[in-house]
Amino acid sequence: MNLSAAPPFTWAGFRAGAVRGMILVPSIAMYGIAFGIMASAAGLSTAESMLFSGVVFAGGAQMASLQAWTEPVTFIAVTLTTLAMNSRYMLLGATLRPWYRGLPAHQSYFSLFMMGDGNWALAMREHEDGRRDAAFIAGSGFVLWFLWVGTTAAGHVFGQLLGDPHRFGADFMLAAFFAGMAVVFFRKASQIWPLLAGIAVAVEKTVSGPWYILVGALAGSLVGAFRRADPA
Amino acid sequence: MLIRPDALTAILLMGLASYACRAGGFFLMRYVTVTPRVEAWLKAIPIALVGAILGPIAVNGGPAEWLGLATAILVMRTTGNDFLSVVASVAVVALMRLFLG
Repeated sequence: MNLSAAPPFTWAGFRAGAVRGMILVPSIAMYGIAFGIMASAAGLSTAESMLFSGVVFAGGAQMASLQAWTEPVTFIAVTLTTLAMNSRYMLLGATLRPWYRGLPAHQSYFSLFMMGDGNWALAMREHEDGRRDAAFIAGSGFVLWFLWVGTTAAGHVFGQLLGDPHRFGADFMLAAFFAGMAVVFFRKASQIWPLLAGIAVAVEKTVSGPWYILVGALAGSLVGAFRRADPA
Repeated sequence: MLIRPDALTAILLMGLASYACRAGGFFLMRYVTVTPRVEAWLKAIPIALVGAILGPIAVNGGPAEWLGLATAILVMRTTGNDFLSVVASVAVVALMRLFLG
């Protein structure tokens, strides 16, 4: 491997990421506040929800894991739920391999911690435009990480002020978010069957405990894998 | 209550799982290639998971939850704005619960 082919990783690229990542601020702030409210409804403390956001740093996975959160918490269930929701990051990470070829491991693996759906999409556009500074994801993710943890705290405090989560529908926020996501999935034929299979199997398996989510996700995703359209 | 030991353990385990996904695809690309079927499977997991969470909520819910889901779907379909769809849906559920008790 020719190490001289390594892409640049500079402060200028880091700053460019931080600046262009600002376009994601409204949506991340909204999801952060929503997650904070949900975490408070699920009985997590302010410190716990901030740690949650800081360590896991993935909105969809955090919300899904809260749905699998029981008291006392079942470690395997919440961990597998996070794994299931974030498994798509494996595809995103894989697409960075050609760009990051030759980059020192600590720079690559720090960038991967900071990678989310939003800044990955921005970075792909940067790359297409010919800008190759590999610090873009680290820079955008770094700023958004603080925003994510901060808005989680704000949402949690707000959630506690609301009091009874049931009365104000705060316990329904997750369902509302996911119903909106389902609408987007429903527009693509290839995504309808996994969605429907997930619904059907989870309903069938609704016993007590957090496992129905995983059983539904596994069944539905296998349907998706085997129904995939043949490459055009 | 600051950070309970079991919550801390759960959060750290979830953090490991999350990072394993982020770094895993990048790491494995050195050794394997993603087949179309594996790619289709990975892409379908979050979709199926969303369905698996929604299904039981719809089945176990009452009129408030049904109207809430319908509102979220309708607002998302008409406006395409996820924020608006959540706010409208939660407001409908809260109002329904207020009046239905």
